[in-house]
Amino acid sequence: MSQQVSAQASRAVEAPGLEARDVRKRFGRVEALRGLTLRVRTGEIYGLVGPNGSGKTTLIRCLAGLVRPDAGAIAVLGTDPRTAVGAGRVGYMTQAAALYGELSVEENLRFFAALAGVDDVARRIEATLRTVELLDRRRSVLATLSGGLRQRLSLAAALLHDPALLLLDEPTVGVDPALRRDFWAHFRSLASRGVTILVSSHVMDEAARCDRLGLISEGRVLAEGSAGDLVARTGTSDLESAFLALSEGPS
Amino acid sequence: MSPRRVRAVARRIASQFRRDRRSLGLLIVAPILILSLVGALWGTPASDTSRIAVVTDRPLPPAVQAALESLDSLEVSTATLDVAMAALREGSIDAVLSTRVGTVSTELVLTLEGSDPFRVGATLGAIQQAIIAATTATIPGPPAAVPALRVEHLHGGPDYTLLDHLAPLLIGLFAFFFTFLLSAVSFLRERTTGTLERLLASPLRRSELVVGYLAGFSFFALIQAVVIIAFTVLVLNVRYTGNIATIFLIEAMLVIVSVSLGLFVSAFARNELQAVQFIPVVLLPQIFLSGLLVPVDQLPDLLRPIAAVLPLTYANEALRAVMIKGFPLSDPLIVRDLAALAAFGVVTIAGAVASIRREVA
Repeated sequence: MSQQVSAQASRAVEAPGLEARDVRKRFGRVEALRGLTLRVRTGEIYGLVGPNGSGKTTLIRCLAGLVRPDAGAIAVLGTDPRTAVGAGRVGYMTQAAALYGELSVEENLRFFAALAGVDDVARRIEATLRTVELLDRRRSVLATLSGGLRQRLSLAAALLHDPALLLLDEPTVGVDPALRRDFWAHFRSLASRGVTILVSSHVMDEAARCDRLGLISEGRVLAEGSAGDLVARTGTSDLESAFLALSEGPS
Repeated sequence: MSPRRVRAVARRIASQFRRDRRSLGLLIVAPILILSLVGALWGTPASDTSRIAVVTDRPLPPAVQAALESLDSLEVSTATLDVAMAALREGSIDAVLSTRVGTVSTELVLTLEGSDPFRVGATLGAIQQAIIAATTATIPGPPAAVPALRVEHLHGGPDYTLLDHLAPLLIGLFAFFFTFLLSAVSFLRERTTGTLERLLASPLRRSELVVGYLAGFSFFALIQAVVIIAFTVLVLNVRYTGNIATIFLIEAMLVIVSVSLGLFVSAFARNELQAVQFIPVVLLPQIFLSGLLVPVDQLPDLLRPIAAVLPLTYANEALRAVMIKGFPLSDPLIVRDLAALAAFGVVTIAGAVASIRREVA
């Protein structure tokens, strides 16, 4: 695991890692975001939780500069998303593995390293592959790997250029529990070095590991707080029941 | 065999088609489009007159001259030898006919343009018909003593085949077809697998992505051109006269157009099946109208403006001029064709970059 401190991350300690204010986005007849507001501190791990179609992925795509909101303001690492992405400061892991099946593990990473302008490519690739435990598969062609292994490479591609902000859209789908634990240990270590992490998830034990959680429903943040807060506030015994209570309660 | 299961499969296919209006539409619209083209192309009587120039400073026997002018299939003009040969080189006439007075005998010399075997056949046939008419009694007066006919070729030669004529165009067609299809499908895969999403969330600019695609595909298209040219020359014995570097330059320009067109088109397809459906729309008109089947200057008036907006028309003209006639890069015709391809390139590249923007919203 790389112990190098992210210079980009430490530079922006004061500004929030990311901020969305009253963001609205409509796709034809579907209103995906309806005035969503949230703020994630630098070095914080923020979890987006919510039912399918609640707007989690649209929000992440807005933050990655892929979708321009119809209204509202978004700041990523103190600037607009396109600028932050263009400077190579954002790591984005999409829901599907989104890699090149014909290329080997290493060739995939070499390509993304070149796009992000990574220096010392060989060392970075080796360090990243060690993090996701793919070092022994570096020469394997991606199409021959299982879904879980591809998911690891997808994470590696997002981490490769040592970004100050990580946007992770359901990063541990298809990843076995032991590796999921290792992923989270790594996320925690990145956050302690000042990397801001936004992660969407369906898995409750994963959500519980976040510093703060936002329950997204119908394009808005319905409730926000640490896992403990949310459980206490709803008077339930676990996070899953807390979310059910919050989503079904009067809104 | 269970009728119920068979029916279930058939019904499922019908439901899928109903949701895929595009495929359904193309199933109906594409044949009508193609049939309209074919109808306009072959349904109107072709202009099969050959244009020949008779040389004034070396006049023909009057009987031959009269016989030539009486033929409907010939359009006869007169010019001095130099002017006539210049017109022949330029392609505005098909043949020059003159009398050559030698020390031993006098001959009629027919110089054919020679790059199109169909034209050569039609012109030669008409001239021979006129000579026969002149020597027989169909024309009033005594049968004339007509000198022997000697046939010369400006391009090609007597053993010049249809393959020699078509090979340059096949190089252009293959390059266009394969790079268009491959770039459309591979860019579609960038879109559907989500890698495009990842690329757009990286410092990579859209223009860099498009230019990278152009470079990558041009490389393989040029390898393809090397293989095709080598095969046609070494195995099929096709004769080329032109400069190989000029051929590659034309080929590269064409590939830039076809790849960027492929990228552009991929924005309008949801899956590989739909991408493949662009083949009849994009490719068939070019096969019919770009000079592969019928020379562009012999197209019906209705279709000529369409041919003028097809990139393959210009690539074909240039490839043929270089490979058969040995035109140099500096020739105005080649310069004009390359400029036309460059203009197409600018438009299709802009379209490709813009089509990537669309998705980013």
